[in-house]
Amino acid sequence: MIEGGFFILLNVVFNVGIYLILSLSLNIETGFTNIPQFGRLTAALAGSIAAGGIIGRVAAILAGQPIGDEFIKANTHVISEVNNYLFANPLVSILLLILALITSILLGALIGLLTALPALRLKEAYLGITLLSFGEILRTFTYNYEPIIGGTLGVLTPSFLGFTGDYETITLLLFVVIMAMLCFAIAERISKSPLGRVMRAVRDSELAIQVYGRSVMRIKIYAIVIGSAMAALAGALYSIFTKTSRADVFTRYSWTFLPWAYIMLGGVGNNLGVALGVIVMSIARSMISIYKHEISSYLFNIDATWLEYILMGLVIILITMFRPQGMLPEKPVFTLPRDRIEEARKRSLKERASS
Amino acid sequence: MLAIILTSIAYASILAIGCAAITLLYTSTRVFSFAHASMVSWGFYLTYIFYKLSQLSPYLFMPFAALIVGIYGIIIYVLIIRGLIRAKASEITLMMVTLGVDFILFAFLNILIDYFYYNFKWDIKNVNIVLRDLTVATIVNTSVKAVHIIAPVTALLLLLLMHVFLTKTSIGIAMRASIENPTLSSILGINVDMVYMLAWFIGSMFAGLSGSLLTMLMQGSSTIGSDLIVMYFAGSVVGGLQSILGGLFGGLLVGLSERLLSYYLSSIFPWIYAYRFVIPLAMLVATLLLYPRGLAGLVERR
Repeated sequence: MIEGGFFILLNVVFNVGIYLILSLSLNIETGFTNIPQFGRLTAALAGSIAAGGIIGRVAAILAGQPIGDEFIKANTHVISEVNNYLFANPLVSILLLILALITSILLGALIGLLTALPALRLKEAYLGITLLSFGEILRTFTYNYEPIIGGTLGVLTPSFLGFTGDYETITLLLFVVIMAMLCFAIAERISKSPLGRVMRAVRDSELAIQVYGRSVMRIKIYAIVIGSAMAALAGALYSIFTKTSRADVFTRYSWTFLPWAYIMLGGVGNNLGVALGVIVMSIARSMISIYKHEISSYLFNIDATWLEYILMGLVIILITMFRPQGMLPEKPVFTLPRDRIEEARKRSLKERASS
Repeated sequence: MLAIILTSIAYASILAIGCAAITLLYTSTRVFSFAHASMVSWGFYLTYIFYKLSQLSPYLFMPFAALIVGIYGIIIYVLIIRGLIRAKASEITLMMVTLGVDFILFAFLNILIDYFYYNFKWDIKNVNIVLRDLTVATIVNTSVKAVHIIAPVTALLLLLLMHVFLTKTSIGIAMRASIENPTLSSILGINVDMVYMLAWFIGSMFAGLSGSLLTMLMQGSSTIGSDLIVMYFAGSVVGGLQSILGGLFGGLLVGLSERLLSYYLSSIFPWIYAYRFVIPLAMLVATLLLYPRGLAGLVERR
């Protein structure tokens, strides 16, 4: 049913959706609060574990399937039974989908908190390396410890929207897009809220914010917890859409370094810029992978995979050297739109006049 | 048993050389280099390609491979890092830019590998020439390979050389002065820019050497550097990121504990071997949280 140009479009939209959530979450931590989060994959993997490992098992219990050793060993069989059950019970499926997202957000927030508490005593490069190591520890552990999500083999994630039949992919995609838009709205809301302004103040001068009686540590923890929860959502959505949950998918390149490149290109600290960066780079990456044969025939048969690496490297280097503020530089945010401020002013004047 | 001890010592020495490289770049230019990963891979592959072209002993080409990677270091410094340091870029910005450099070096290495595949029909996506290593001696049924001797000796030699270079030669003393206080050194007529360039040259050379020694110890692909980069980071952080000697010892400690400790533990708990990569990472985190000054902090002269 899905082929050709339509498939390409789906691929681009899916990548934009997932990476928008991921990059916005990184922007909250790095762009607003200046935490060098080189371990973005930690929370994303936690989200995937929540969807595949935890809610997968909950679905298995509901479908009367084993959740212990057999859940891993005979995973294909168990999940196909689960899918049959979910197909017959649309309401349960939707509830489980929502539960999966909530669980991933909670688990992501928890992982964020657990990494933040020890790591935030450090600064700059040391902090970045520590966060990176936490990610590697979790990934190595999940990859080798079978009882969580099947270790090297991974587990299948139930198709929560299987009851929509032929429209499953489209519905899931629509769901990812809605979630991405929701995350954008949340990130914008945070950016304009008092919390967002305090985060920026922490970024610009920790000393100043301490003088005004705010705890820098607490603000940073908020940032990491919110960011990790959002990244976990991206990881869970990815697992639900691709219907697999496995640790080796969550590489440093795809789940930490690409979002970094995107926010640097778009504009660190500016949600709209981040969105622009994600859209531009996702389209560029998809174009490279679609037209790889045409491109490599023009360029001395160089494999397009390496061209993608060169493109990413050049984007990072050139942006850092010549336009560190990104495509859309950060602007001072107004807490309320201008007309709302005017309205409030008029209202208060009227109230004063009437009293 | 002896074989495992020998391999562990060789591995740890190779790691130590790379950790010294990271530490040198960090102390001199405040760059925590992600590009280290691809430099190691480049050293690895250059040695292999030279060996394959000439069929001579790979050891002959290790200095050349290291030299070529060292030249990459100079180019990276001149084109990218210098401008950013002058613009007072933050540590994180410098780190990110080396990530971009890493992607580009990685891409070009793979293009080179593909080139040999298309033009020479060499399938070198995976390289394994460990068995080609010479056997120097046989002790208690264990053959002692050349790399078991050469890797620790190289690490030791570099340790001595760096010590002499940093304390006895005027360039070395200038380098230490520039690391300690760049402004003051430039007032005293030291060309800080040249010193940084030299640091990048030596640092990248060490990274390349570390990679080229790895050819005789393990099989690998173009991702060998990025697979091991966390070990290199762990070693340099355990070493304290303050002195090159600290980096060397940190790498040694991390390498030995990854190999030997996991070996001993796995004789008690067999399942533990799969998690051996967690040991260096745990050491890294523990060092940062408990004693961030690392090994170098223990012997600091103040």
